[in-house]
Amino acid sequence: MPDSTATLTRGAVHRSGRGGWSWFARRYGAILPMAPGMLFLVVMSIYPTIYSLVISLFRWNLSDPTRMRFGGWHNFGLLLTDVTFWNAVGVTFKFVLIAVSLELILGLAIALLFFQRFPGDRFLRALLILPMVVAPVVVGLLSRYMLNVQFGIITFLTEALGLGRIDFFGEPNLALGTLIVIDIWQWTPFMFLIMLAALQGVPEDIIEAAKVDGARPVRIFFDHILHLIRYPVAVAVALRLIDAFRVYDIIFMTTRGGPIDVTQTLSWQIYDAGFKSLDIGYAAAYSWLMLIIVVATVTLVLRLLLNEQASR
Amino acid sequence: MPQNLKRFSFTRRTATAMLLGAAAATALPGMGMAQEQVTLQAIFLPATWGVVVRDVLAPQYEKETGVKVDVQLVGRDAIHEKMATLFAAQDPSFDIFNLDYSWIPEFGAGGHLLPLDDLLSEDDKADLFKTALEVGSWNGTLYGLPQTIHPHVLWYRADLYADPEVQAAYKAKTGSDLAPPTTMAEWLQQAAYFNGTQYEGQTIYGWAAQAAKGFGNVHTWLTFLYGYGGSAFNEDFSASTLSTPEAIAATKQWAEMMKYMPPGSSAFTYDDVTTSAQQGTVATALQWSWGAFAVDDPASSKTVGDWQFVEVPAVEAGGQSHPHLASWVISVSKYSKHADEAKKFTAWLETKANDVLQASLGGGDPVRASSYSDPTLTEAKLEGSDVLRFRRYDVVLKAMQNTKPRPFFPGEEAWETVVSGPLQAIQLGEKSVEDGLAEADAAVDRLLSR
Repeated sequence: MPDSTATLTRGAVHRSGRGGWSWFARRYGAILPMAPGMLFLVVMSIYPTIYSLVISLFRWNLSDPTRMRFGGWHNFGLLLTDVTFWNAVGVTFKFVLIAVSLELILGLAIALLFFQRFPGDRFLRALLILPMVVAPVVVGLLSRYMLNVQFGIITFLTEALGLGRIDFFGEPNLALGTLIVIDIWQWTPFMFLIMLAALQGVPEDIIEAAKVDGARPVRIFFDHILHLIRYPVAVAVALRLIDAFRVYDIIFMTTRGGPIDVTQTLSWQIYDAGFKSLDIGYAAAYSWLMLIIVVATVTLVLRLLLNEQASR
Repeated sequence: MPQNLKRFSFTRRTATAMLLGAAAATALPGMGMAQEQVTLQAIFLPATWGVVVRDVLAPQYEKETGVKVDVQLVGRDAIHEKMATLFAAQDPSFDIFNLDYSWIPEFGAGGHLLPLDDLLSEDDKADLFKTALEVGSWNGTLYGLPQTIHPHVLWYRADLYADPEVQAAYKAKTGSDLAPPTTMAEWLQQAAYFNGTQYEGQTIYGWAAQAAKGFGNVHTWLTFLYGYGGSAFNEDFSASTLSTPEAIAATKQWAEMMKYMPPGSSAFTYDDVTTSAQQGTVATALQWSWGAFAVDDPASSKTVGDWQFVEVPAVEAGGQSHPHLASWVISVSKYSKHADEAKKFTAWLETKANDVLQASLGGGDPVRASSYSDPTLTEAKLEGSDVLRFRRYDVVLKAMQNTKPRPFFPGEEAWETVVSGPLQAIQLGEKSVEDGLAEADAAVDRLLSR
């Protein structure tokens, strides 16, 4: 039966001819509604992406835009042999992996707390998500003032506690850690929200059955709940990884890549190359290498997460 | 009148009015050509000279000429970014830009700025500081009319230095008389002495200067480098020369001095240095001459009239320092649709009268030598006091004779970004002077190869 239907349909198309509106509508009707979106995608995303790849192959400084020389892999070669590039890769990985891991653990832990109803839980939930709705640039500014070693409120606290003045953004051993803590403060609520929604979607009968079987809460969590929420966890981790790789605003408002180069992430380096040195070709090559790193890392982490969970 | 006829009459009147309106709208642009008000778009730094242009001079110019100047105040790095992107697109949105002079080679060589040589008479050229004109030019063409100059000068707390108790204590501890330092060794000794001492109930530190990564620490370090006879590049800017004995000696002195700055100084910007001076938490400061207006502002300063100024100490007694020069210039975009009007406004901003007016309003130090003897400035006193407002001018004039600009080549902005990191590693003690400078050399050579 399916075969004869297909034959009939093809015949009908043939009879109506190829030039008519009805043929066009049948042939492309499904695509037409998507056309504006596709066009938007091409203009706003695909073209710039290809263009950036093209200019990454050129030696091109924006201060003299008419002088554009083809350099082939010159920019990529320079980058891959540049110690500052590898330093930025290291700094970015430290930032991303530590921040996102801790946000995941904390977000899940807080979600488990809020999974049980308790008085005032709604109010507290609303309070918890407040940092997430503040613009990162504002978070950066607030942090700069709060942690200012001369007059910041945190400095008053550390002095009151007998710890003396701590230069959170100026001390090479503390600066990156401070940025990670700020990121965790801002983005743990995002993890919490997704984890809470995921936990609320876990079928209660599975938990009840495990309880009847005599499983302890810890075993229920690791053996059942974690497995059931693996996809929301994967989505949350992927989103946060991508976002954390792009970190820029907080660095701009606080350390500006310093002290020395300890907070010099990939995105900060791209800004330096593109807007301080105006070396657009180099910055484009930098962006492409960063894109490859982000895609590879996210893919790897997702595989690890989902395979790990699936194998349980 | 029947209802439908009334409606017809109303419709006809409306149509006639619309036709007349359309005709007028078509004719007006042509008629208005002669009287069309030109509006210039300008970007200035949000420093006092930018504010003075926006709030005082631009409105005055509009009254005098009918030409409106819309001034936007934009931060330093943002001006650079904006110029680069607007110029790349040959965008005429802005006619006038306020530039850090170190961008003149970059945008001058790119052909994005209009020559301004025709704006200056021979008298103007003789009156304007030669160095200020040189840093506004590239390849012999003037692209930036100087708006303000401010070389590094040494600030010191005159009340502290004049206090007999402090003088006696200093003499007892060091065996030397306390006087404004004339050599680097004296300055270091004084900074070390004052660092962490108490004065009038508060802790004071040895000195303050810009030290933040980016350009701040480079700008401070350059004054040391020049003072010790060092140079950042060879003559044709083809190689970095930061590992010379002069550069090493200068950097060692600078790194040693950095130990006597307030906590958190590795992030010190111009504003932080100003705040420290206003709050009286430092004994000395290496700061732009122009910034002195801020410490004499009773609304924000606890040290009004307390600061005095001397030349940056020399390496040896009887020697000569070479302070690093800061200066901002005004340029006209090649893509401006009102280039002539923009040039006229630029020239008007820097007439002798306006040079003095800007300075008197706190808008940077004058760019004309003659302005430094203008009674409007030289006789001005702080409110309710005999202290001269512009008491720094003698020192500024001396400093202008020996001041040196940043490395003047098209890659300067990128250069200072690259050098800043290794310098900060030195200032924080993470690298030795020799290793840090060798790293800076390698990074600069790498930049040049790009």
